Amino acid sequence: MNNATPPTNSTSAEPPDSSSPRRNSKRPKYSRFTQQELPACKPILTPRWVISAFMLVTIVFVPIGLASLFASRDVVEIVNRYDEYCAPSGSRSDKVRFIQSDADKTCNRTLTVPKHMKRPIYVYYQLDNFYQNHRRYVKSRSDQQLRNRNDENDTSTCKPEDTVNGTTIVPCGLVAWSMFNDTFSFSTNNNVQLPITKRGISWKSDRDHKFGKDVFPKNFQNGSLIGGAHLNESIPLSAQEDLIVWMRTAALPTFRKLYGKIEMDLRAGDTINVIMQNNYNTYSFNGKKKLVLSTASWLGGKNNFIGIAYLAVGGLCFVLAMTFTIIYLVKPRRLGDPSYLSWNRSPGGH
Amino acid sequence: MSSNPQIPNPHLQSSSSQSLNFGSKGLRHGSDSEGFSMSRRDLNDDDARLVYVNDPLTTNETFEFSGNSIRTGKYSVITFLPRNLFEQFHRVAYMYFLIIAILNQLPQLAVFGRGASILPLASVLFVTAVKDAYEDWRRHKSDKIENNRMASVLVDHRFQHKKWKDIQVGEVVKVSANETIPCDIVLLSTSDPTGVAYVQTINLDGESNLKTRYAKQETLSRVPEKDFINGLIRSEKPNRNIYGFQANMEIDGKRVSLGPSNIILRGCVIKNTDWTVGVVVYAGRETKAMLNNSGAPSKRSRLETHMNQEIMLLSFFLVTLCVIVSACAGVWLRRHQDELDIMQFYRRKDYSEGQVENYNYYGLGMEIFFSFLMSVIVFQIMIPISLYISMELVRVGQAYFMIRDDKMFDAASNTRFQCRALNINEDLGQIKYVFSDKTGTLTENKMEFQFASISGVDYSGEKTEFYGEQGGYSIQVNGEIWRPKIKVQVDPKLLKLSKTRDDSISSKEIYDFFLALAACNTIVPIVVNASNPNEKLVDYQGESPDEQALVYAAAAYGFMLIERTSGHIVIDIQGERQRFNVLGMHEFDSDRKRMSVILGYPDSTVKVFVKGADTSMFKIIDESLNVDVVRATEAHLHSYSSIGLRTLVVGMRALSVSEFDTWQTSYEIASTALMGRAGLLRKVAINLENNLNLLGASAIEDRLQKGVPEAIESLRKANIKVWVLTGDKQETAISIGYSSKLLTSKMSQIIINNNSKMSCKKSLEDALITSRNVINVTHASEDDASSVALIIDGTSLVYILDSELEEQLFELASKCAVVLCCRVAPLQKAGIVALIKKRTDDMSLAIGDGANDVSMIQMADVGVGISGQEGRQAVMASDFAMGQFRFLVPLLLVHGHWNYQRMAYMILYNFYRNALFVLVLFWYVLYTGFTLTTAITEWSSVLYSIIYTAIPTIVIGILDKDLGRKSLMTYPQLYGSGQRKESYNAKLFWVTMVDTLWQSVVAFFIPVLAYWKSDIDGSSLGDLWTLAVVFMVNIHLAMDVIRWTWISHASVWGSIIATCICVIIIDALPMLPGYWAIFNLAGSGLFWICLLGVLIASMIPRFVVKMFMQHCKPCDLQIAREAEKFRNSMEITRSGEIEMNLPHR
Repeated sequence: MNNATPPTNSTSAEPPDSSSPRRNSKRPKYSRFTQQELPACKPILTPRWVISAFMLVTIVFVPIGLASLFASRDVVEIVNRYDEYCAPSGSRSDKVRFIQSDADKTCNRTLTVPKHMKRPIYVYYQLDNFYQNHRRYVKSRSDQQLRNRNDENDTSTCKPEDTVNGTTIVPCGLVAWSMFNDTFSFSTNNNVQLPITKRGISWKSDRDHKFGKDVFPKNFQNGSLIGGAHLNESIPLSAQEDLIVWMRTAALPTFRKLYGKIEMDLRAGDTINVIMQNNYNTYSFNGKKKLVLSTASWLGGKNNFIGIAYLAVGGLCFVLAMTFTIIYLVKPRRLGDPSYLSWNRSPGGH
Repeated sequence: MSSNPQIPNPHLQSSSSQSLNFGSKGLRHGSDSEGFSMSRRDLNDDDARLVYVNDPLTTNETFEFSGNSIRTGKYSVITFLPRNLFEQFHRVAYMYFLIIAILNQLPQLAVFGRGASILPLASVLFVTAVKDAYEDWRRHKSDKIENNRMASVLVDHRFQHKKWKDIQVGEVVKVSANETIPCDIVLLSTSDPTGVAYVQTINLDGESNLKTRYAKQETLSRVPEKDFINGLIRSEKPNRNIYGFQANMEIDGKRVSLGPSNIILRGCVIKNTDWTVGVVVYAGRETKAMLNNSGAPSKRSRLETHMNQEIMLLSFFLVTLCVIVSACAGVWLRRHQDELDIMQFYRRKDYSEGQVENYNYYGLGMEIFFSFLMSVIVFQIMIPISLYISMELVRVGQAYFMIRDDKMFDAASNTRFQCRALNINEDLGQIKYVFSDKTGTLTENKMEFQFASISGVDYSGEKTEFYGEQGGYSIQVNGEIWRPKIKVQVDPKLLKLSKTRDDSISSKEIYDFFLALAACNTIVPIVVNASNPNEKLVDYQGESPDEQALVYAAAAYGFMLIERTSGHIVIDIQGERQRFNVLGMHEFDSDRKRMSVILGYPDSTVKVFVKGADTSMFKIIDESLNVDVVRATEAHLHSYSSIGLRTLVVGMRALSVSEFDTWQTSYEIASTALMGRAGLLRKVAINLENNLNLLGASAIEDRLQKGVPEAIESLRKANIKVWVLTGDKQETAISIGYSSKLLTSKMSQIIINNNSKMSCKKSLEDALITSRNVINVTHASEDDASSVALIIDGTSLVYILDSELEEQLFELASKCAVVLCCRVAPLQKAGIVALIKKRTDDMSLAIGDGANDVSMIQMADVGVGISGQEGRQAVMASDFAMGQFRFLVPLLLVHGHWNYQRMAYMILYNFYRNALFVLVLFWYVLYTGFTLTTAITEWSSVLYSIIYTAIPTIVIGILDKDLGRKSLMTYPQLYGSGQRKESYNAKLFWVTMVDTLWQSVVAFFIPVLAYWKSDIDGSSLGDLWTLAVVFMVNIHLAMDVIRWTWISHASVWGSIIATCICVIIIDALPMLPGYWAIFNLAGSGLFWICLLGVLIASMIPRFVVKMFMQHCKPCDLQIAREAEKFRNSMEITRSGEIEMNLPHR
């Protein structure tokens, strides 16, 4: 935009007549600030600027959009919904009864790798229709307790999972209580075990500062209603990475959480056997459970939206640039021409 | 009374000091009222305040009268907190905050934590309290200084020093020259043997000339130290009328009356009098000065009224959002009714105790109700409460710039612009009608004697230089030369005639004429030192500039007033000193429109001299004496007033002994009455003032103020209708109209002078037809604006106002380019303003300088006072005050325009800013099972309107200028944008809201879709939204800023940086769930891409519409802005004879 020169310092900038004999004059002291004449830039968007702005957006957005699309295309993703398959067919209440029972919940799934997958391959579980952002839920935790052993009894916010039989639960609250407890193990079709790394799946900042190294689980899942996973009471919270991941409550009701990483390339056409323990109860509220194996690009997972959106905005701006060019050519207007002023346009119009 | 802004009753003013003012504001009674005791006791003891002179103990025994210590400060250290809070919670806005904060404290509804929920209220209260405390501290400081000033008070027959705050009612106080009066005192004696004291009332009403006050004959000779004065004063209860006082004093068994001329008010300064002694009647906060110390009148600006309508709409939106949320929440709970018990994220049942109970669940109905209340808490900032505080701050800032504008500084009177009302700044940008007073507003109110007509002979010949080489008339007193301070041009013929003393009739009449000019007034001559040691200057001090001009004129012709006391005057007539007894005086009142003085000649003949307005004088002239003289004088008067001069007629009559006695008796009865004194005196005066000899007439010029024609021209171009309302004669008004370019020769005039309702009706109907014809003709022939001028007089208005004819008058007046109302009474002025105010939505402004303009100033939407020659009542009642009429142009066209544009934009922007945030919260609620979780941390939602986005809007609201001063002054038509409400209207509001909706959708859904099915956590997404929204609103503002100074840069970019810092700080606290989220987020490319995408995509529609409108339907402001920027370059290219390169080619 054009940088304006400071306003003309003609008559107004003259200092007031200091020769005035009046000593106690109340004349306001002159300054550019009080006279509202500070040097200023007065950008006016001329047609050239408008068209350039639109073109600039086009030039920036289209490549980013294309890059995003390519990145998304290169991501290989295997999604497998297993909650239906791993439960006996029947009514919902049957499934709920099944998941609440002590029956063996082992379940086998076979996945086929559609394309070559470069390592690291991220293993996620995805829950649908699970409101980890529900107000009752997100509030039901105690960050103090997680962090500091001395704040163990700081469970006022954890209701109704704060105490069991009068003793404090660590970690307390619905969030920890409902921790996901399905497990997966992978092997290739020639029965070679695919090792899953479960270290480093949580944020380092959480491990170092948010979850205490001297805080150990206590009385966890000792109540009459088991919400999910049990925790090894000999491992401090800062090392319970599954818990740490789970406690980062998801933003949206459909979410993925990192289960682990496979540090191996998978070739196209490979089949993978998954042996899973289907423990987690999503049947009671019609939630879905999915297993996701995905590679990652610089932009994250497979998602075409950003690419499409950028292309759309870039394209729109190109169209707008063209439209404005046409408008300016068809109907030019000299900037600042006084003859366009309303009182000059319509003679005698008052 | 008129300085009381709540009682617009200036017509009761003892002297309205309008064009025909030659009376004094103080009543003055003859010195010969001695021994007269009142026949009537109309001041009850119940209503009266009893003051025992020099006996404060008895005085204060029964009633605790207020002591003299004053407290303008509102609070003390202890009362500050409760009282200030109490006052703050009087505002609805703060109550809203409070209720929300209280709701949030209920455990079921605790959306925010304790701290976060109280922060907005606390910060608002804190800012206001700091502001109040600072103001109060300054008041306390000045109170302390006032209270500890010293005065000398009579204690045990000696005057001793005492602090002001210790003075009590009933005590006797002595005040020396140039000292300030500590409380309201009734004069007992002065250093002057006649008991005169001169006071300056500049602190009280801003009038710098000296006023005379009198001690009563009965007390003036007593020396308080020795001669114990034992009297009882019955005075009226304390009131705020600084020009009225009624009391009587019982002394030595006699009862004497006391009036306004016997009291000196707190804050006045004694001048030219060595000492005065008086008894305290009102002290401290009961003094008239303190009672008048009320704040500025409060008005509400038009913009704010409109804004409140839109706020109602916003409240409606808020309720709608809350209803949607709570209804959905109900449906959701209903559908999941059976699953809630063990659902991991709901867990209705609490199994931790022995028996299983519902945890935090109160049934469907209550849950719906709670979610409604919770959504009110979460969406509370939909109602932009902070807007009210921002507006106050912005107005303070705007006022600062208006006051500091050196284009509105009047060097002549050394006065700055004053902003008395702080809440109608933006109204100045929407004025459609200006009602102006004439005298002192359009004119300078510096009177200069021009012509005289004496017994039918017109002396309006060539004016010479000042008389003689010495420079005017002078006299010898004790070897010193005394001359009048102001020199007056004289007519040589008349001067010659006035010097000849023979027995011819004409010489006698000239003698009487000038004697009348010198005597019939309330002017006090003050002798001051001149630069030359042998010379003294006689300075005539008085309240009416007309009288001053007449006395100076008389002095120039050899009738020099050199002494005035309450009982006599001394006039030096052609070098010969003569003493006249002043036996009585009937001051000016607006009913009689004349004043008279009764003079006792040295040869003990008694004559009454009367001067007044022609209309009132010709009624009481004895026409049988000399018809020709009367006719000739009338003709002269007409010719004087037609060139814009102010005229007065002087008459005289000799009184026989019996006549004098009758008059004296009734005069004394009337002047000692306590109730209805003014009316009684008026009756006495009317009985006396009749069958007069016509002496002649005088003509005084009142010059137009500098720049008035240009100012009126500018206002007219700005499509502001200027109406002049004056008390002057029609001819005078019309001639001033011409000289101020209000009227032009091209205009056709419609004049309405009628004496009955019927004739008024008829002439209105005729006028309507004429005006229609004229307008049609001008439309057909010329492109000049419709040019009909309506001239109407006060008599006709009596019949028109408050009757069904008003409608026709309005219709007629709205067709006319100019309306001149002459001979109007103060209340009629207000009536005319009301006529317009009632019938149109257009804003009106009234400007005036005198007490007679007070009602009009208060009636109009905006009242402007001229702080000029006349008193300060107009200023006290006004919203804005300034030194000159011409400052109205920068005030309206420049500051008014800026204020309006800024405020209008700020309001819309605040609506947008808050609604955007609320909508983003709302969209998220739809994804949380309608449970009012906020991804944005509670601290960020609280800080949003306090830190993240507050400062830029205030700074832009104070500093942004859409156009420079020069453009606005060159094209007054640009003012029309405010009149047409272009910057704030319902359409703009809805457009803004649609834009807000779009922006909120973009801001919310781009990140949601980009992070759909990913492992993003709530805090990270919340941070993304926080930053996106704050960046958006600041970029949005940046797009609309017209003038980027370093301050705007600092505030806009500064608040973006401040937001980032705050977000970082919040995310660096490990006890919050969102710990470190922003750092993890900022490490990913997707975050930055989302942010950029949100910013661009959200701004595109707005940008496109703005650019399209700018190019295809440019408003005047836009073109002027371009002209401002490109004009220079255009001129350069043209001079180089290069074809201008259009930007689009």
